[in-house]
Amino acid sequence: MFDPQLLFAGFATIASLKVFPFLVLGTVMGIVVGAIPGLTATMAIALLIPFTFAMDPISGIVMLLAIYAGGIYGGGVASILIRTPGTPAAAATLLDGYPMAQKGEAGRAIGIATISSGIGGLFSACALTLFAPLLATVALSFSAPEYFSLAVFGLVVTMSLSGNSLLRGFFSVLCGLTIGMIGIDPIGGFQRMNFGFSELSGGFNFVAVMIGLFSLSEAFRQMEQMDTMPPVPPAIRNVLPRFKEIAGMWTVYVRACVYGLIIGIAPGVGAETSSFLTYAEVKRASKDPSQFGKGAPEGVAAAQAAENGSTGGDLLPMLTLGVPGDAATAVLMGALTIHNLQPGPMLFQERPDLVHQIFAGMISANLMFMIVGLLGARLLAKVVQIDRRILVPLVCLLSLIGAYAIDNNPMDVWVTLFFGVAGWLMYRNGFPVSPLVLAVILGGMMESNLRRTLVMGLGSPAIMLHRPIALLILVLAALSLYAVIRRNSNEARKRKAEEAVTE
Amino acid sequence: MHITRRSFVSTAAASAGLITTGISPLRAAAYPERDITLIVPWAAGGGTDALGRTLTKNAKQYIGVGVTVVNRPGGTGVAGMKAVATAKPDGYTLGLITFHLSSYRLSGLSELSYRDFEPVMLLNRSPTGFLVKADSPFKTMKDLVDYSKANPQVVTVATSGAGAVPHLSTALLAKQLGLKVTFVPFDGGAPARTAVLGGHVTMLVVNSEEALQFYKSKQLRFLALNSDERHSSFPDVPTIAEAGYPLQTLLLDWRGIAAPKGTPKEILDVLTVGFRKMAQDPEYIRLMDEMALPRANAERDKFREFLDNIEKALEPGLAEVGLLKKI
Repeated sequence: MFDPQLLFAGFATIASLKVFPFLVLGTVMGIVVGAIPGLTATMAIALLIPFTFAMDPISGIVMLLAIYAGGIYGGGVASILIRTPGTPAAAATLLDGYPMAQKGEAGRAIGIATISSGIGGLFSACALTLFAPLLATVALSFSAPEYFSLAVFGLVVTMSLSGNSLLRGFFSVLCGLTIGMIGIDPIGGFQRMNFGFSELSGGFNFVAVMIGLFSLSEAFRQMEQMDTMPPVPPAIRNVLPRFKEIAGMWTVYVRACVYGLIIGIAPGVGAETSSFLTYAEVKRASKDPSQFGKGAPEGVAAAQAAENGSTGGDLLPMLTLGVPGDAATAVLMGALTIHNLQPGPMLFQERPDLVHQIFAGMISANLMFMIVGLLGARLLAKVVQIDRRILVPLVCLLSLIGAYAIDNNPMDVWVTLFFGVAGWLMYRNGFPVSPLVLAVILGGMMESNLRRTLVMGLGSPAIMLHRPIALLILVLAALSLYAVIRRNSNEARKRKAEEAVTE
Repeated sequence: MHITRRSFVSTAAASAGLITTGISPLRAAAYPERDITLIVPWAAGGGTDALGRTLTKNAKQYIGVGVTVVNRPGGTGVAGMKAVATAKPDGYTLGLITFHLSSYRLSGLSELSYRDFEPVMLLNRSPTGFLVKADSPFKTMKDLVDYSKANPQVVTVATSGAGAVPHLSTALLAKQLGLKVTFVPFDGGAPARTAVLGGHVTMLVVNSEEALQFYKSKQLRFLALNSDERHSSFPDVPTIAEAGYPLQTLLLDWRGIAAPKGTPKEILDVLTVGFRKMAQDPEYIRLMDEMALPRANAERDKFREFLDNIEKALEPGLAEVGLLKKI
């Protein structure tokens, strides 16, 4: 149902003086809010919905789309600078972005992150524009068995983020799965493991868990070594990455765009899953995986491109089927509803002009945050130069305020503190944090869809045999598991040999 | 007492109001003098949030002050509703309470119930819809019931989640008719609907408004509506009784406005009048129609009575699906 004429008309509307200022405003607000820990793109959209009341629908929607795209991108900036994911999706960016910044390459890391987010975002926005109705049928062919397989695949891939010890990584995954089980049983509807707290009846708030594990734990670690840590070298000046550098990572981008789009389209899973999965996949496929986690530009590129690469995919089921792809698009859907626009099949028939304006808005939003991001990067990169004695307490404060801001719920502050200590202990004992985080996200998806699959198969797992896509993903998962275990034992052998030589 | 110019003016204005309207207590005449907070116990961007925001958008026009919507999601609505119930009963903190309040005590989640509130106004009661995919061989409710009778457990039913109205309504229907169906609970109405659209599950039971778009695009077919009256958004859909299966208990999803227990009657009077006007706002009416949410208008004691009846109807439903865990 793609109509180039309507798309051009859409661009013309967005370029008009009536709409364009809101595009710029939305982008700047999105990046700022995205970069502040605890304030997510989802919240920014929710907060600004009332302000769009007074605007005409398209200005309001374009502003919200710009906040969405800019917010998802902006989360990466905080990841790079202070190891605090500004949005949940940006957690994978910190794995390499923060080490880059600590090496004095904050500017370069932000530059790569910006260009990569833009590449991923533009690809997914174009895919959305050209193939929305077609891709909607793909979304429909996915159901519980396929989601279950996807979650299993994700958990297997996560294992490759384990670092040196696969066993410790496995332990982290198990912890994550257990934490994910707290709250309402997804099929039976009864309470489990809430220890009598009605505040926990919906489970731990995922964002609070993540702020604790990543940012607070890092702050604790820095406090401990405040006087012994070497100062961060001054940021190198060039922010704009060289074309050769970006072009050299094309395989990373192909992976990121494909994974981002597929995971985006799957309703209910969004940027946080796609960025971690892509990061792990790119690391696995890399010639030198040992560089990942120590400041590899490919790691930043993979995470950011996949993050924004899922935005178009997340919008797709929302617009075509009325099923939000993730939390942020769920709020966007609410915004459309308030403007008397009901997402779903009828929107494409009744308001094709508006649908194309949304497409044009999404493409423009991606271009806009690239411009704003590159302009602001040099300024932002200075954050890492702030004295640790000032920066670390600030990060703690931001983390706790951020945790409270999620739902205005004091319980989340305790959750963040708890996981801050837990993350610090895990770090000290060599347990990787990322597998735990991904297991919390994927655990619920895996459990509920496995049980749903079995119910749909009237109790028999044989239903999987009738689902070719699900079966294929499971086979891929098994192959990945084999590869991860083999590589890990090879590496362990190599390390032993090296140790023998040095002795 | 030191009388400032402003307080003198407002006292004078209030006394003038007294004289003209003849209402006695000074406090009620002064209320409301600042913005009112409306706590929505669900996340921003959801249907309930949209309802609350549109309802109160033009509040200033109807009640003299603005109404600020504050989202307090978490704990399946308990956090927000508890915040309302425990707020100072001065009329400045109100809540948009929803169906879940009827189930907390019965499912053992919290002791919170409608008894902790002063019900102000019921805004909406939504019937459950029974649907199939457009290309399904089941044309009527009878087709499906007959098939299900002959083939126990084979019919799969996608619902918006265990313990929610659609699930309980279907369980009660199945019990009454002696059917055995297989429930496939999803995390909300939208994913359940997608599973039926994709042909993965036979039947869809959700709040009727969640099927609106796909009813219009003719991708889903209503077999019946679990209601005592037809729905203006789905004029050709029979009620469950018209489809041949009159139900003993009728469960409905609902949303309404409530104040904390102990709010003075004079304030409740002001609120009732104010919300009655807000519920007549053309923009609100248009939104409700577009979202296919039938408007209701039970006030105060009538609302309380409605809540009492829903709780009584819920108990056997929850017992039927094994979720009754009364506190």
